[in-house]
Amino acid sequence: MRHFLLVEGTNEKWDGVKLGMRSIPIATACTIYHKFFCETNLDAYDPYLIAMSSIYLAGKVEEQHLRTRDIINVSNRYFNPSGEPLELDSRFWELRDSIVQCELLMLRVLRFQVSFQHPHKYLLHYLVSLKNWLNRHSWQRTPVAVTAWALLRDSYHGGLCLRFQAQHIAVAVLYLALQVYGVEVPAEVEAEKPWWQVFSDDLTKPIIDNIVSDLIQIYTMDTEIP
Amino acid sequence: MDRDLLRQSLNCHGSSLLSLLRSEQQDNPHFRSLLGSAAEPTRGPPPQQPLQGRKEKRVDNIEIQKFISKKADLLFALSWKSDAPATSEINEDSEDHYAVMPPLEQFMEIPSMDRRELFFRDIERGDIVIGRISSIREFGFFMVLICLGSGIMRDIAHLEITALCPLRDVPSHSNHGDPLSYYQTGDIIRAGIKDIDRYHEKLAVSLYSSSLPPHLSGIKLGVISSEELPLYYRRSVELNSNSLESYENIMQSSLGFVNPGVVEFLLEKLGIDESNPPSLMRGLQSKNFSEDDFASALRKKQSASWALKCVKIGVDYFKVGRHVDAMNEYNKALEIDKQNVEALVARGALYATKGSLNKAIEDFELALENCPTHRNARKYLCQTLVERGGQLEEEEKFLNAESYYKKALTLDETFKDAEDALQKLHKYMQKSLELREKQAEKEEKQKTKKIETSAEKLRKLLKEEKRLKKKRRKSTSSSSSVSSADESVSSSSSSSSSGHKRHKKHKRNRSESSRSSRRHSSRASSSQIDQNRKDECYPVPANTSASFLNHKQEVEKLLGKQDRLQYEKTQIKEKDRCPLSSSSLEIPDDFGVYSYLFKKLTIKQPQAGPSGGIPEEGIVIIDDSSIHITDPEDLQVGQDMEVEDSGIDDPDHG
Repeated sequence: MRHFLLVEGTNEKWDGVKLGMRSIPIATACTIYHKFFCETNLDAYDPYLIAMSSIYLAGKVEEQHLRTRDIINVSNRYFNPSGEPLELDSRFWELRDSIVQCELLMLRVLRFQVSFQHPHKYLLHYLVSLKNWLNRHSWQRTPVAVTAWALLRDSYHGGLCLRFQAQHIAVAVLYLALQVYGVEVPAEVEAEKPWWQVFSDDLTKPIIDNIVSDLIQIYTMDTEIP
Repeated sequence: MDRDLLRQSLNCHGSSLLSLLRSEQQDNPHFRSLLGSAAEPTRGPPPQQPLQGRKEKRVDNIEIQKFISKKADLLFALSWKSDAPATSEINEDSEDHYAVMPPLEQFMEIPSMDRRELFFRDIERGDIVIGRISSIREFGFFMVLICLGSGIMRDIAHLEITALCPLRDVPSHSNHGDPLSYYQTGDIIRAGIKDIDRYHEKLAVSLYSSSLPPHLSGIKLGVISSEELPLYYRRSVELNSNSLESYENIMQSSLGFVNPGVVEFLLEKLGIDESNPPSLMRGLQSKNFSEDDFASALRKKQSASWALKCVKIGVDYFKVGRHVDAMNEYNKALEIDKQNVEALVARGALYATKGSLNKAIEDFELALENCPTHRNARKYLCQTLVERGGQLEEEEKFLNAESYYKKALTLDETFKDAEDALQKLHKYMQKSLELREKQAEKEEKQKTKKIETSAEKLRKLLKEEKRLKKKRRKSTSSSSSVSSADESVSSSSSSSSSGHKRHKKHKRNRSESSRSSRRHSSRASSSQIDQNRKDECYPVPANTSASFLNHKQEVEKLLGKQDRLQYEKTQIKEKDRCPLSSSSLEIPDDFGVYSYLFKKLTIKQPQAGPSGGIPEEGIVIIDDSSIHITDPEDLQVGQDMEVEDSGIDDPDHG
């Protein structure tokens, strides 16, 4: 089940990038998607249609409006990579209608709560604060920011966004990025409070570990998908 | 592969990471060499203390290490580093862009000693510091640093770090007196770090902007007010007074946090590029995306095929004659896809059929621009151009028409219709030019008529008579010789004519003169010949290259006829010649083209003996109009006229 969800999540990310969507709208789309399938039965709906509709809806929510024609084109391309773009015939317009209908359905299922707090803003602020504390040469040669951002984006392939708080995800992602490169936060040992605790008061080490391990899990699933 | 990074990571995680890396990345050529050499530093001093600390993290560390090893080729790639350079610290401390936070170490409550140590490790030349003057000496002043103005934003207010600003680094504010007198203890100063002694923890600062790096050189150094203190410091002070505030609270209550553009702003500040979004997923690596998959490319293709459909419908309408419907379809197609070649060609054809040739031409040209190999577009365009040229011809806009024909020819050299039309046009243009010339000549003659008063004419005539009498005596004896000389001279001149402009002009002159003389003859036959001659030998206007090539033949024909004409000449003509030559002399030279010719000829034509009595023969040509003012006295000069005629042919007489 979750495996399947992941496929769709991947699909969405793929589509999102090709549509030129920014990180936040993609995140919203994925969150909507995951949330929808939490509330409903997985078999009841065509996941691809839901994916397209959630992209469309997210575009509206995050002020990066996308045209349905583009969404349909890109999705179609995903399935028929070598085929020609769809003809603008009646079948096409029916597809479009179904996306619009689906959008309304999703809104109702989600009780019209489609605006989310994403970890992205938090992560960026944390990065700025950390940057000032680290030695600048160390910062420049270590791509902490890029890695953290990539990790955060990839986390949407799974349902992390639903299970953890935005701030926690942001911290965990940053933590992992620092770990990967072996970067130590200066005077960490001597500090009264660890840096990750500073960023989010109610965060504990176990939570970080949970998030990190889930995140790594997502990547392993990625390699299993053909 | 970034070796240093890899080494750093290995140092942190130890040998287990190394072995994992070996197994995961064994196929990767970048790693093989690195792993060989990178092994040594970890093997070196086996750090006992760090290992102890790490033992606790051992369990999940393994997972992380596995992750690192799997993704190592991405994580340590040189291209992984942000391509977009982080906007160099133009300190937009503005509240509105993002939530400016107090320094992290303040929250972490790091001991002062460590902060101090780290400060001296991390401070660099060219950083801006802000402090308060603590004492002023003769050699400079000391200031206690309270915060930083650029680079790393640290909390140093309580660290009691002092810096010295030597006298030489204090710019003087007045022409005389001590520059230091400007300053007082307690002033807040912004200065640039000039020198650092890390070991002794000593700093030297300067108030000159030359101590700052180029991107910061706009910032004013010297005394500042407390409002100009950086935002992070002010927040830091607030935090000190209320140490229970959490990072999160401060952040969320900051106006900048809710700025809708905060994400974009910070991404730029940190140097993360959204247009090429980074990912560690294998499937999402940007090199796997082809341009064709992107939405905009797909849309274009789709629009093109949709537009084509509309065009097809439109063509069907066109064939049954429903022009309005067809036009609608074409317009629809073009709305969908502005550059659609088929639609443009079809619409152009429709315009052409309806008669709006200009619009048709526009459409075809646009179509050809987009697709230069479109056969139909080319064909239709040529046809339409020729048609348009025809229209213009009828409207007497010949040059315009000519350009259209030429354009058609450049597009398609084999287009017969265009060639034919062009040639026809040229001929017609010749004729019309000649006509125009005649007109102009007539006008000139009329002008000359007006200028002369009868009294002047009389005087001239009297002079002429005298000259002619003299000439008569000379000419009767030498007329035959002159005429023979003429022929020889003219033939020789014709043979040497090919490259010679001068002779060409002369010949043109001659042809003109012969024409004009013939024109006014009463003989219908000769006038016919004239017309033909004009067609053949009048030089084609300057832009056609063939004009001078034909010239030689024309002239030879001309000369042949000239000889004949000598015998044909009537008295009237001859009569006309005489006053013509003299009168033309005194006319002021303001007749445009023809006066240009005049000048040329007068310069170049020396006067030969026999016709010396009539010096300005060269000018004879045009003013046939004045022939009409003949008077009875001229009748006497019949023979002389002959001489003059032949004198026309004579290059010496011009």
